[in-house]
Amino acid sequence: MSETLAIRLRIKHLLVETLHLEGSDPSKIVDDAPLFGEGLGLDSVDALELVVALEKEFGVRIQNHEVGREAFASVSALATFIDGRLAAAGNPDAGS
Amino acid sequence: MPGADPDPGASRAVAVTGLGAVSPLGWNLASLWEGLRSGRTAVGPFDRFHHSGHRTHIAAQVDLTAEPERPQNKTRMTVNDRFAVAAAREAVARSEIDLGGCRGRTGVYFGSSTGGMLESETYLEALLAAVARGRPPTSSLLASQQNNGPGDAVARDLGIGGPVQTISAACASGAMAIGDAIVAVRRGEVDVAIAGGSDSLCRLTYAGFNALRAVDERPCRPFRADRAGLSLGEGAAAVILEPLERALARGARPLALAAGEAATCDAHHMTSPHPEGLGAAEAIRGALAGARLDPSEIDFVNAHGTGTLLNDAAECAAFAAVFGDRAPDLPVTSTKSLVGHLLGSAGALEAVATILCLLHGEVHPMPDDGTSDPGIKLRLVLGRPLRLARARHALSTSLAFGGANAALVFTRHGDRDPAR
Amino acid sequence: MPRSCSHATEIGTLRAETVVTGLGTIGPCGHGREALAAALAAGKPVVVEVDRGAGLHREGGARLAALVKERDVSRWVPAAAARRMSFPSKLAVAAARMALAEAGIGATEAGGPRVGVYLSTTYGPGLFTEQLLRQILLEGAEAAQPYYFSECVANASAAQLAIAIGARGPNVTLTQRESGPLLAVARGAQAVREGRVDLALAGAVEEITPLLHALLDRFGALARKEGALAEMPRPFDRRRDGFLAGEGATLLVLEREDAARARGARALARVAWSGAAFDATATASDWGDGHAPLAAALRAGLDEVPDGAAGVGAVVSGASGARRGDRIEARVLRAAWGEARLPPVLVPKAVTGEYGGGILAPGLLALEGAQFGPTPGFGEPDPAAGVTPHRGGARPIPSRVLLTGLASGGAAAWLVLERAS
Repeated sequence: MSETLAIRLRIKHLLVETLHLEGSDPSKIVDDAPLFGEGLGLDSVDALELVVALEKEFGVRIQNHEVGREAFASVSALATFIDGRLAAAGNPDAGS
Repeated sequence: MPGADPDPGASRAVAVTGLGAVSPLGWNLASLWEGLRSGRTAVGPFDRFHHSGHRTHIAAQVDLTAEPERPQNKTRMTVNDRFAVAAAREAVARSEIDLGGCRGRTGVYFGSSTGGMLESETYLEALLAAVARGRPPTSSLLASQQNNGPGDAVARDLGIGGPVQTISAACASGAMAIGDAIVAVRRGEVDVAIAGGSDSLCRLTYAGFNALRAVDERPCRPFRADRAGLSLGEGAAAVILEPLERALARGARPLALAAGEAATCDAHHMTSPHPEGLGAAEAIRGALAGARLDPSEIDFVNAHGTGTLLNDAAECAAFAAVFGDRAPDLPVTSTKSLVGHLLGSAGALEAVATILCLLHGEVHPMPDDGTSDPGIKLRLVLGRPLRLARARHALSTSLAFGGANAALVFTRHGDRDPAR
Repeated sequence: MPRSCSHATEIGTLRAETVVTGLGTIGPCGHGREALAAALAAGKPVVVEVDRGAGLHREGGARLAALVKERDVSRWVPAAAARRMSFPSKLAVAAARMALAEAGIGATEAGGPRVGVYLSTTYGPGLFTEQLLRQILLEGAEAAQPYYFSECVANASAAQLAIAIGARGPNVTLTQRESGPLLAVARGAQAVREGRVDLALAGAVEEITPLLHALLDRFGALARKEGALAEMPRPFDRRRDGFLAGEGATLLVLEREDAARARGARALARVAWSGAAFDATATASDWGDGHAPLAAALRAGLDEVPDGAAGVGAVVSGASGARRGDRIEARVLRAAWGEARLPPVLVPKAVTGEYGGGILAPGLLALEGAQFGPTPGFGEPDPAAGVTPHRGGARPIPSRVLLTGLASGGAAAWLVLERAS
């Protein structure tokens, strides 16, 4: 599995565990589906909860102003964002 | 009218006859007023607990070394209890009321959201460490953690015999406690009410609000364009309430009339206010109706004004809805920019600040910090006090975590139209 | 002379009384009134062993608690809505919906600005608070999870309840310990009577976690095994040594009597009187010995109710087995009744435990004629207290009951409910 796909799957698992989406199958979460508003229907507190989980999981630091809709719009967007942060930090987890 | 007294005309007028406060500006009312007038924030470095691991590092802290009078059983009291007792004692002293004859007819209506949490955190830390080492914890004080601690401490300190209750409704606790006290005095349940709130800084709320990314790294700038969150503070405030007739009969000087009160709930979201401030608007209207005032008669507003993006926008929307075209000209201030957000005692401290403004004929300013937000069309009082010598009626608002809203209306004594 | 609050007032020519039209209760005995009634009739506390795996409990301390065993409330609170709720919030919403269903109030009528929430809790959502504190203290402040914070405040359950049913009137959370549940009902009833709201959901919710249990035990507050004496609460008994920690939620629907009748609802009870006072001789975590002023306040209140103390057919006592708590409770009752004989004194907390709002539902059941078994744990009267609780057996159905709630820390609250039909 490519690094990017691995990150996406980790994010999907995190979504289900962290946000208590009981009964949801992580592999069934669509990469580009909206996370907030429609789609999964998550809200601002879910976003913050996700931030704490992402920081712990990937060891990145997410600033207040980054907790916005663009980076968090979908699993794909999140994966790109995380990927970029890991690469910037020279982290071996980063995809190429 | 939701959440308000539907038949205020049949009720008795309620007077405020005493005020007391313990705040980051000092252990008494005089230091509070002097500090509020100055427009200089008390939010800055603090050492109530170690915060190097927290996201932010400032707060408005009460100087414990300046505590004037040590209550006898101080070792059994939490910091919160001490704030509350000091504020209540000052309010009673300033009211010149002789509680001796009426302790059974005096009630305590308090608000707190942290109770003894600060001390409980220390105890729990020690307990967890001891368990991890396989040793029993040292017998340190496990102070009462529950939120009724400060209110009960006030009641015990003053030997109260009437109803005693603590409301814990997050940021609206203090205002709701005062609201309940007003109603209790009006309906004759008590002759005297000691009402207020107390909260201390603690790790739980400091880390919690930071987890919500709701805390500004800099002292908060309510209603400004670059506002980035709230600043936390601590302290206590208390007011003495009694029927106006009774106050006058005993020769007391009423400081203000507690003219109206109302409480509502957004029922919208656990941490975000209704974006249009609908619940807050209903609370304001309810308090105005109780005071038999038209919105146009309010001379200034002490807003909840936390400095978060969402609260200030929602609150501004509520003001626009209630005050209409007049909203942009209505002087608005927020005590939180000076003393921080006192959570459970915020509403009480702000009621005290509102009454002080009425008494002195001037609205205290906020620090002249930040830039104007074009979406916030309010007449903010910045830098210097705004002289309003003829101000008669003022509104204080509280919009809480969890959606509870409270509004209080105070009227300068001597201006109440007896025909109302 | 202390005067309290009669609930019958005149507004113009209308007599405004508040009635209870619905009861929802979930506790250690199970879900709903039937399960509770069965446990009360059997006269046995429904207890489980508390999980002591975290090592926080002291040796030789209490091991039992009255906990909610059936934790699935999805019948009342769908999983999607409950996603971020703490256990107490789920209990509160479930009990409220149960009460509204009994009152015959549908979802669309249950919301709006004329509906208020008056909820009592002592510790709030304990588990989430503990987890948040563990994160802050052991992992560092930045490990704090937003979910836990938003759901750990004392008013979390009241806020969740308001969101669930759309209640936009006053949202009041009282944290007055053992007197809280009665204060909540009193405040809700007052709001209805005074026309502030048309509907009030009033009651109590509590969650007992292993940590809370361990801390209560370290305070010496809980009943524990002492020599040959088994661990159990012994209200009013000479050998009592503490209470049974209990959790659960009870919510009542309160509305004006004329409105209830107009829509054909059955009134389960009328709120006849409520009163509150304070014993300043108490310490922060214990009861005091100022029973005389409390008794005077209670007596004065009862004198405002038709037939006074003589008209009270049963006392539903907040006694719990606490050493000093039961003593002052007994002395207050004895002094308030004076020379007259006390009516049967029922002690539901011996079955349901303390903190879960333990006497609200039993109080209503008693008024409906529910039979209570012998008071568990009681065997030897305590001369220093002087009250013998109900020993089982038939009692006349009371037309009026007095609920009592004396709190550690000094607060006191009372409620008189009467039959409304």
